[in-house]
Amino acid sequence: MRGPLIRGNGWKWLLCAPALTVLLLAASGPLLIVLVYSFLSPGNMGGVVWEFSTEGWFRVFFRRDIFEPDLVTLNHAHLTVFWRSIWLSFQTTLICALLGFPTAWFIATRPPNTRTVWLFLITIPFWTNLLIRTFAIQEVIRNNGTINTVLLRLGVIDSPIQMMFTDFAVLLGMAYVFLPLMVLPLYAAMDKMDFRLVEAGYDLYASRLMVLWHVILPQVKPGFIAGSILVFIPAIGAYVTPRVLGGGRTMMLGNLIALQFGQGRNWPLGAALAMLMLIVVVGALIVYLRALGRMEGERRG
Amino acid sequence: MDATDKGEIHIAGVNKVFGQGASAFHALTGIDLTIATGEFFTLLGPSGCGKTTLLRVIAGFEQPTSGSLRINGAEMAGLGPNRRPVNTVFQSYALFPHMTVAQNIGFGLKMLGKSRSEIEATTSDMLRLVRMEALAERRPSEISGGQQQRVALARALAPRPRVLLLDEPLSALDLKLRKEMQSELKRLQTETGITFVFVTHDQEEALTMSDRIAVMSAGRILQLGAPTDIYNAPVNRFVADFIGETNFLVLPVAQTGGAVARLTLPGGNCAEARLPEGMTPVTGTTVTAVIRPEQAAIVAPETGDLTARVESAVFFGTDTHLHLTLADGQPFVLRRQNRPDQQPPEPGAMLGLSLASGALRVLED
Ligand SMILES: Nc1ncnc2c1ncn2[C@@H]1O[C@H](COP(=O)(O)OP(=O)(O)O)[C@@H](O)[C@H]1O
Ligand SMILES: [Mg+2]
Repeated sequence: MRGPLIRGNGWKWLLCAPALTVLLLAASGPLLIVLVYSFLSPGNMGGVVWEFSTEGWFRVFFRRDIFEPDLVTLNHAHLTVFWRSIWLSFQTTLICALLGFPTAWFIATRPPNTRTVWLFLITIPFWTNLLIRTFAIQEVIRNNGTINTVLLRLGVIDSPIQMMFTDFAVLLGMAYVFLPLMVLPLYAAMDKMDFRLVEAGYDLYASRLMVLWHVILPQVKPGFIAGSILVFIPAIGAYVTPRVLGGGRTMMLGNLIALQFGQGRNWPLGAALAMLMLIVVVGALIVYLRALGRMEGERRG
Repeated sequence: MDATDKGEIHIAGVNKVFGQGASAFHALTGIDLTIATGEFFTLLGPSGCGKTTLLRVIAGFEQPTSGSLRINGAEMAGLGPNRRPVNTVFQSYALFPHMTVAQNIGFGLKMLGKSRSEIEATTSDMLRLVRMEALAERRPSEISGGQQQRVALARALAPRPRVLLLDEPLSALDLKLRKEMQSELKRLQTETGITFVFVTHDQEEALTMSDRIAVMSAGRILQLGAPTDIYNAPVNRFVADFIGETNFLVLPVAQTGGAVARLTLPGGNCAEARLPEGMTPVTGTTVTAVIRPEQAAIVAPETGDLTARVESAVFFGTDTHLHLTLADGQPFVLRRQNRPDQQPPEPGAMLGLSLASGALRVLED
């Protein structure tokens, strides 16, 4: 009995060889190139010169005076962008979680045959190009856009509210774009949830809030974890949304990196920023999962 | 306090209709029921007869379409399950998978806002009561089905409800474990003095455990009474058939008088049969009479009330079921206790049957 099984396992790993090859070439390859580039010198017209240098990494955090290269100050512009990226992505994740939970709950409590319809509706925005959706949001919130026009006509406000090119605009755009990525894993978790446990909670004198906190949330936690990872990671590297809705003033990491590879003509700096973003994301993930593990440990202990 | 206020649970004219219009389904029809404090009360009926629905109405998970429900004198309409002094042991146990056994048991007390020390004390009492002390820190997924069952019981008992509702709690257990849990449940009920409302489709379970039984069918209560009443005096064909085994005999009426009638048995002898209240069948018509398989004894041929031919014998361990044919061709099952010195009769043999006095009953329908 065991013989064929072991032999079977011997070649079965080959089934994932195509995927592994693609992953290795498509993910590790470019990553390696970026890592190497970050330690080279910038070329005059972009590109890199094959000359070892730590200047790219240095410039991520510090800046040199143009006239006196030895005068070194912290690069506040970069640090601001870093902080804004993390903070906006965090807020986006939070907003998506707060809006996504009731949405997913609504879908999961529909009769089974209508759930597909609701899920389908949730995924409809995916059919439209991201750029078009982002411009649609711009159309709604710009100074002579829908909201401001209506409010002006109604006489609620005298002059348009400046919403474009603010953190708010970026947040709104990102929450809108990433919401389905939170709803779908949350729904999947709720779909697997045993609703009889909710009844058991009520039966044991829990109020609605207590049932939510002690019974439902622990059950859908895997959905929250998957959803927040799916939202946070693309949010921190978002390019289109902050570009269109945030403009040059509320730049995020993705825009800063693109800038270095474009107008900035400093590929090593761009590469170093990209590596740093990777480190931030992996770091955030580790902190997040550790915190969850600790919570779990406390619950058990 | 008027008479209807007596008892723990008082249900009056409860109806439950699922759906509306053409697709409306009457799950409960005209349920009237008073369950006494400290009683072990059983709802018995085939699958789909509305037992769970009635239990859910009592627990507060379903609102009755009409009728009233009072628990300990208080009207329950509009109160959610978390505000009724009632706990449920779910058929699926519904233990919280992310909590330990001890946390599951303490959950109700925690939600009631009891102090930490009180929760701990009660939890360990409960663990001891269901003999689960050693597994307090395990997760539900790490214990067996029978153990989960006991945790579910302890969790429902911990807040000391006035009433414990149990929805087929033993149906998922194997026979031996089920027998064990039956006596365990009885012990817990006696020790705690809590009113138990127990749901089962297993008539034997109902007969052995209950103080009183309500036999249900198609959303109605057909008969309400002590196990012996229901077994010995089933009101109609459904109850007679559902509870235990029964021989149905179609017999002509020879004579009536008072509460009994004389029926003509196949072969010509007459026997007295008890009549249901208010029924006086006309002489010469036929009625259906019932008799339990163990209430007839084998005697020498031609000396008893009936003569029967043996068709087959089925061995059941404690007893043997003899499938017989009476003189007019009606089938008759006889249950005879086994003894090592007795051989079952051969198929084709002729036997005499003597009916126990009072064993024969006429059915209303
Ligand atoms: N929520 C519901 N909607 C519609 N019909 C229901 C619902 N709950 C139960 N029923 C119906 O009511 C009848 C009684 O169900 P139930 O009380 O679960 O029976 P039992 O527990 O005796 O097996 C069944 O025919 C069932 O299909
Ligand atoms: Mg049921």
